[in-house]
Amino acid sequence: MSRVFDTEKPFPKLAKEALQDQQLRTNLAHATTTIRDKRKRVVAELSDWEELRDAGAAIKDYVLGNLDTLVVELEKNVTRHGGVVHWARDAQEANDIVVALVKATGEKSVVKVKSMATAEIELNVALEKNGITAYETDLAELIVQLGDDLPSHILVPAIHKNRSQIRQIFLDEMGKSGLPAPSNLTDEPADLAAAARAHLRDRFLSAKVGISGANFIIADSGALVVVESEGNGRMCLTLPETLISVVGVEKLLPDWQSLEVFLQLLPRSSTGERMNPYTSIFSGVTPGNGPSAFHLVLLDNGRTSALAEPDGRDVLRCIRCSACLNVCPVYERTGGHSYGNPYPGPIGAVLVPQLRRGERTPLENSLPYASSLCGACYEACPVKIEIPKILVRLRSEVVDEKRRDHAHNPELVAMSFVESSFSSSKKFEGAIRLGGFIGRLRRGKPLRHLPPPLNKWSATRDAPVPSKESFRSWFKETHPSSDNAATKKSLSPLRKLMPENRNPFNDKKKVTTSSSAKDAILATIAEANDDAHESKANRAQRNYLLAGTRSLDERVELLKDRLIDYRASVTESTSAEVPALLQRLLEARGASSVVVSADFPDGLLQEVRATVRRDEPALSTSELDDIDATIVGCAVAIAQTGTIVLDSGELQGRRALSLVPDHLIVLINDDQIVELVPEALPRLRPNDPQTWISGPSATSDIELERIEGVHGPRILDVVLVRS
Amino acid sequence: MGPAAMKVALFITCVNDGLFPDTPRAVVEVLERLGHEVVFPTEQTCCGQMHLNAGYRPEGLHLAQRFRQVFSDYDVIVSPSASCVGTVRELYGDSARAINDAVLEEELEDIASRVYEFSEFLTNVLKVDDVGARFTHRVAYHPTCHSLRVLGMNEGPKNLLRHVEGLELVEVPNEDSCCGFGGMFAIKNAATSSAMGDDKLTSVSSTGAEVLCALDNSCLTHIGGLSSRQDSKLRIMHLAEILAAQEPTRV
Ligand code: SF4
Repeated sequence: MSRVFDTEKPFPKLAKEALQDQQLRTNLAHATTTIRDKRKRVVAELSDWEELRDAGAAIKDYVLGNLDTLVVELEKNVTRHGGVVHWARDAQEANDIVVALVKATGEKSVVKVKSMATAEIELNVALEKNGITAYETDLAELIVQLGDDLPSHILVPAIHKNRSQIRQIFLDEMGKSGLPAPSNLTDEPADLAAAARAHLRDRFLSAKVGISGANFIIADSGALVVVESEGNGRMCLTLPETLISVVGVEKLLPDWQSLEVFLQLLPRSSTGERMNPYTSIFSGVTPGNGPSAFHLVLLDNGRTSALAEPDGRDVLRCIRCSACLNVCPVYERTGGHSYGNPYPGPIGAVLVPQLRRGERTPLENSLPYASSLCGACYEACPVKIEIPKILVRLRSEVVDEKRRDHAHNPELVAMSFVESSFSSSKKFEGAIRLGGFIGRLRRGKPLRHLPPPLNKWSATRDAPVPSKESFRSWFKETHPSSDNAATKKSLSPLRKLMPENRNPFNDKKKVTTSSSAKDAILATIAEANDDAHESKANRAQRNYLLAGTRSLDERVELLKDRLIDYRASVTESTSAEVPALLQRLLEARGASSVVVSADFPDGLLQEVRATVRRDEPALSTSELDDIDATIVGCAVAIAQTGTIVLDSGELQGRRALSLVPDHLIVLINDDQIVELVPEALPRLRPNDPQTWISGPSATSDIELERIEGVHGPRILDVVLVRS
Repeated sequence: MGPAAMKVALFITCVNDGLFPDTPRAVVEVLERLGHEVVFPTEQTCCGQMHLNAGYRPEGLHLAQRFRQVFSDYDVIVSPSASCVGTVRELYGDSARAINDAVLEEELEDIASRVYEFSEFLTNVLKVDDVGARFTHRVAYHPTCHSLRVLGMNEGPKNLLRHVEGLELVEVPNEDSCCGFGGMFAIKNAATSSAMGDDKLTSVSSTGAEVLCALDNSCLTHIGGLSSRQDSKLRIMHLAEILAAQEPTRV
């Protein structure tokens, strides 16, 4: 049975337990330091990072302010492209929909791409109850699933495990559910990744149903965007016959152009890469190119109610990059399990209470206090969510709830006593005099034992002893002539701003009379946006760089540099030299067979001595798996990020070709090279099935160090054809 | 140097009055040494930081209104606490916004525009580097989260320290990581808070500094409380006290 989180204990208790685990603290400190440094480096490379952040926040605000129209537009476009859209008000509805869809295929197992939405609704548990096995395929999720563990990070759910612990899990557990790990497995990350590749290979090739989330869904085209590293995502999105994507409604983007912002913000903030190895973009069903059935489950689960609150709205901007976790000093020490849900760290501390308005548990009420308010999260957040301010506002809600339900709570009594001592200088001076008295008794020796609740302080820390003479009495003595009339001011009465004694969430009129989930969700959005001031916010300003300034030669050099940095091999060539070069590249890697698209010109293959297979008629997945290499062209290449974009167009064929064989050769004509991400998007059509490739498949799931070679091609040879 | 003599109203903070009077005394000394007039509005108590941070918004706003009235007659209000200044600047307005009280918001934003942290006042308003201090020790500076991320100050205070005669300023590894104080956090999440503080203490100790200084006695109390419990010889001082120091030249 899949494990679920311990929600009985509040954060401080869970954190205290986690702090005892020295291994956990070492692992987390190592991993978060690694990723923090990487992120800093790649963010510093962009001169327009702040403008991109502003645009990211503004686009998301626009989406949330216009969510009702955008989500309907999305539904129309997904349907137009052969997908089926389902609406789910809550976790139960979403799980029921997915279970029914899987059951209808007759399959007993599914392969899954890591997805926060499905973790949030505990989909795996629901599937299991219905006799369906969900195989997680992301390396870190695989580690968690094999180890019967719980995720502890948004991006790297197994961040709390180090390489030797992972090796042990693989050795002990892989054999129980499939291909065992080789007995001579070392703890080298590359070895561990290779073991995961072998363990999952057959599962990918034979899977009939894939389940994913999505990073972005684009309203005006119906395209889904899935950002990943290892190639497991591509496997699940392209090879199965049926694909089911569960996506929160807040993942919308208005249009294609918006991606130019988010495809820069997300990879740099999350894995600290200029671009993640793979991004898949697809719309509904494309015959002969990927699944023949596509279902999009749009998930609400508290999102539209959060929309009605200003802070909730800000939190819904989140793109789940996990930068805030990686910089959080609290997360770094307590780990993700202390937050008691799949969303840990600063974003968890604000998102979970927002999604659970009106029904929060004591654990969820303790989350807003799980922060020293140091502000590192806000500084790192690519969409500028002011997490510290939201935490403070949420604390207010927690206190107000206490006032309603437990007026005699000792904390309330103490805090109101302190306030009243601060409310008059007379009382305050009295308190200071009392302190001075204690100070004289202690003769300057620090206090080692304080009464509860201050004993929590003195358990580890000495407390300062009050001074014998306060500042105010010193000042009075030393500055007798200081203008007393001016400094001693009589105050006019102050307004007491007590909270209204009502629960703003419970008595909000609930729109439950609507017949369908869709109507109910749309009605809640409309109501929330009616109330909000800035609902119809304007589109973002494009104040970031839209085009580069480099010459063709400089672009080529930059692209080469970036490709090599991510372990691709690059060769420049004239068009006349290409046929001989292809032969040399294939031979160098020992490829005895190669696959190309139906439209691939014979001329380019004239020197190739390996067996050439054309994907016409379409080869089966297992046939593809028997082939050593693939040669493809591309649509555009982005120099700044070392990215090659395939759009299933000329010389490329369907997406599976560049995925299954282990050795990928890509031909780039130099007129296809642009400098910046915003220059690439206008050259692409949103509804073409696309794969954005930046280097060979890779993972950062083991101690957040990037290593190449997981499920996608492990060798990437790039040929730059100069004109 | 700097602008002509100014009249400065001191907000010393509730914590400093009884627990750390040396800090505001040092502020008075430095400002008077530089030729400015210092007044102390005696009705002052607390800015409301603790209440506002901990979710006690009505109480905090009550103290905020009180703060505004106490200081409303002054154009320049200086305080030796980055977190109190941060509260006035960031949380006052935001808390008033949270209850949709536009009048209060405007009043509080107005007072906030006149409040300066002590070293910020020296650097940005008086534009002085050298305040005539002499302090012959190895000193570490901890940029507290409020000074670094809310007030955006790091170079200013370090620059003031570098101009202190005889002082050797050391680099603290990971200086921007939080010490773990966090107000109520230190009690509510005492174990995590102490773990963070221990790590900070380790980084500071690795520099061989004799003295640790910062712009906030609250963070310093936390780090100092840990170090004193562990019998470390590290001395804790507010930056103002170093700037006030005029140690005699050693023979
Ligand atoms: S809150 Fe910001 S930093 Fe944290 S995961 Fe979301 S987008 Fe990333």
